[in-house]
Amino acid sequence: MSKELTISQDNDGKPLMKFLIGELKPKGKILTPFNIISVPIILLGIVLIIIRFWKGIGAITNLTQDVPWGLWIGFDVVTGVAFAGGAYVLTFMVYILNMKKYHSIVRVTVLNGFLAYVFYAGALLLDLGRPWNVINPIIGNNFGVNSVLFLVAWHFLLYMIAQLIEFSPAVAEWLGARRIHKILSGMTIGAVIFGITLSTLHQSGLGALYLMAKEKIHPLWYSEFIPIMFFVSSIFAGLSMVIFEGSISHKVFFKQISDKDHHAQNGIILGLSKICAGAMFAYFFLQLLVFIHERHWDLINTPMGYWYLLEMLGFVFLPMLLFFYSYRTNNIKLARIASVMTILGIILNRLNVTVIGFRWDAAVHYIPSWMEVVVTLTVIFTELWIFRWVINRMPVLRDSPSWAKKQE
Amino acid sequence: MSINRRGFFRVLGVTGAALTIGRDLKAAPKGNDEIEFRGVLYDSARCKGCHGCEYDCADANGLPPPDPAKDLPPVRKTSETKRTVVNEYNTSKGKVFIKMQCMHCNEPACAAACLTQAMHKTKAGPVIWRGEKCMGCRYCMVSCPFDIPKFEYHSPNPKIQKCDMCYNRLKTGEMPACAANCPNEALFYGTRRQLLSEARKRIVENPKLYVDYLYGEHEAGGTCWMYLSPVPFKELGMKTNLHKGSYPALTKGFLYSVPSIFVLFPALLLGIQQATKKENQNEEDEV
Amino acid sequence: MDGFSYYNIFETKGMEYLIIIAFLALLIPFSIMLNRKVKIKHQLQKAFGILTTSVLKIPQGVFHSNSHTWAHLAKSGIAKVGVDDLLLHITGEVSVTFLKKSGEKIAKGEIMSVIAHEGKALEIYSPVSGNITGTNPALNEQPGLMNEDPYGSGWLYKIKPADWKAETSSYYLAEAATDWSQMELLRFKDFLATTMPKYATEASGVTFQDGGELRDNLLPDLPPEIWKDFQKAFLTPGEAVS
Repeated sequence: MSKELTISQDNDGKPLMKFLIGELKPKGKILTPFNIISVPIILLGIVLIIIRFWKGIGAITNLTQDVPWGLWIGFDVVTGVAFAGGAYVLTFMVYILNMKKYHSIVRVTVLNGFLAYVFYAGALLLDLGRPWNVINPIIGNNFGVNSVLFLVAWHFLLYMIAQLIEFSPAVAEWLGARRIHKILSGMTIGAVIFGITLSTLHQSGLGALYLMAKEKIHPLWYSEFIPIMFFVSSIFAGLSMVIFEGSISHKVFFKQISDKDHHAQNGIILGLSKICAGAMFAYFFLQLLVFIHERHWDLINTPMGYWYLLEMLGFVFLPMLLFFYSYRTNNIKLARIASVMTILGIILNRLNVTVIGFRWDAAVHYIPSWMEVVVTLTVIFTELWIFRWVINRMPVLRDSPSWAKKQE
Repeated sequence: MSINRRGFFRVLGVTGAALTIGRDLKAAPKGNDEIEFRGVLYDSARCKGCHGCEYDCADANGLPPPDPAKDLPPVRKTSETKRTVVNEYNTSKGKVFIKMQCMHCNEPACAAACLTQAMHKTKAGPVIWRGEKCMGCRYCMVSCPFDIPKFEYHSPNPKIQKCDMCYNRLKTGEMPACAANCPNEALFYGTRRQLLSEARKRIVENPKLYVDYLYGEHEAGGTCWMYLSPVPFKELGMKTNLHKGSYPALTKGFLYSVPSIFVLFPALLLGIQQATKKENQNEEDEV
Repeated sequence: MDGFSYYNIFETKGMEYLIIIAFLALLIPFSIMLNRKVKIKHQLQKAFGILTTSVLKIPQGVFHSNSHTWAHLAKSGIAKVGVDDLLLHITGEVSVTFLKKSGEKIAKGEIMSVIAHEGKALEIYSPVSGNITGTNPALNEQPGLMNEDPYGSGWLYKIKPADWKAETSSYYLAEAATDWSQMELLRFKDFLATTMPKYATEASGVTFQDGGELRDNLLPDLPPEIWKDFQKAFLTPGEAVS
């Protein structure tokens, strides 16, 4: 019972309702491996979420009074947002520095970033004890301007709006709305500048959240420079995710991509590898500086010390060398391996600061329950479903319609 | 002596006036600028471990009565049903008791962390939790250096539980429940200024009884709940490695850089974009 | 601060955020207005027909020769040549009355074309030597094309150059071309100041406007004698002095 993959064409004159209803039909095979794995997990996740609202967070998580933030905050929000950093780096390169080479991947990266923020903000709502009160800091009951979390929350909100504006021309092209498309395209540069400023602040803001937990995070990961570390690492985290996710998208959605873009893919990967290598080089030395400044060398010879060395040498220094080498020898496969290692390194770093290194001395160590993991997977899979839905319909990977190109 | 009617009413009036004024002096604020922090001085040397304060606290706050015998050793902790606990330690000077509860810091990390200002440092001193604003994000728990706020993980409408120095009682002129009925006068309620002078007095008058250290004078930038102890505080399970400045000040640097970045980055990015745009416009493509 | 009464270290944060919002709101009109000033000057000059370098197209990657022709070498090895925008602004709309054929040879400094307006003609000399591999067919169909897009679709010849490097080594490129155009405009003003009285024409009255600004498309209103002098002063190689 398989259908051939049909790529949507953009709506050029069709009545809107009819077009939208047509777009809701599934495109492509029903029984793919991804669908078979993701659907049961999503359904189980929905059941768990209902239990969470009925019986309280403790019913499905292993959070304790000593460790109030666990997998959902440490992984979904903090790590997920670091990976969504590709959007602001790429829009900086393409719209501010005018590096036209990367123009073909901007849209898919912005889409990824937008979906990431929407879904991780959604995951955050699951973690809140009283999610209905989340409007309080928005409407002014009260504006907790003293709080870093207030800043991060507002930036998330504003950044999602900026990314929506950046992505909306693709939606307008899909719907065939020419006048709206022109207006939205004009707003792109403003949204990009606003988005980059917001990203800088909330990527570092996620790190600043932990500044007050001075004695609660292991000294090798706590310093007053956590915000800067988080910001710099978000640059190469985002770009590595772009390389990784781009490689997968190119294979899965290859029918949509024009020949020109196919050939450009390798050049793009190598260019991004170069930037990653540079950013990781700077980051490694920043970490070294902070390590020396904090004078914690006696801690290296402890289990946590070895863990720290593993993160820094194995998952920052080593992938940096691999990126460097892959750029010099034009080796795409090596660049992909390096990007996977970098991704693991970022996950490790964020989890070390937020979960593993947080109250590492607690009597009961926090280990996420399987239910937390299932809910996390539910969020990620749902995001991928929406991503696939958009890619198969809107001009993200494939070229824009000609009328849209003329408007630029 | 016979008391005539006029005299009687005069005495009644003066007594009434004195009582009202006296009550004001004790608890109610005078004017906005003259409010000083109120706090409690806990004297570990006087505490006999009767756990009476725990029962009074539970009573005053609608919590289930504690059962000290049932809790697991070695150390009892505050929880979502226990706002205060008294622990017993075998120290170099024998059995010593220590009461744990919110420290009501001068510049609380939890109040600075709370993005809805549900955690609020009142002008009178106590740090209170305002449930109608709270969204249950638990950032206060992450930030508190004493690990005090406790979350009701098993409730669909969870509250944060912590000692609030019986703020409602203070407003009507009473003392916190634990301090009001302590049989050994281990809890001394007053303005922070009074606490400091009383504590120093006790140390000077009984140098062999107390360790020469007032816990909470500088910890976390100073707290309104302070401790005197006959033994070093480390032996009583108190955290002694805490930052001796205000915790919110640790985020001040970051929060004050936000406006600068908001001003500089858009201007800078706009400038760079204009500069690179001009170069492109004058180019002519030729295949 | 003294530890005895309430002190809010974040008291001004609310006000700071309001100032930021005001700043961002003001930044947009601020930058729009900054850029508009430059654009308005250009538009005004174009509207009044004032001739300055700001209304000229001067592509930065094209070689400009002393005789107001341009040459550009494409990646294929074939060069395109044509007439520069400055000359066309001075002459106004012209038609090409002479064009060599494809396959012919041409030498640097040899006449490659003649442009004319109502009988008054100017000879155009080739900036490079080589084999002509193509001429522009569009010039016949659309006479105004050369004035409209002199460096793009209004090219004259495709030439395979014989000695590109040596022949273009003295030509102007990028900012040097802009500076040279500026100097040529000044030289043109001086030229007019000396030749107009020589022929004492009525046209001298309409030449200058607004205290010495050159008018666009000036030459068509001037007599053929001035065209001849212009040819000698600006277009014929060897006699043109810059």
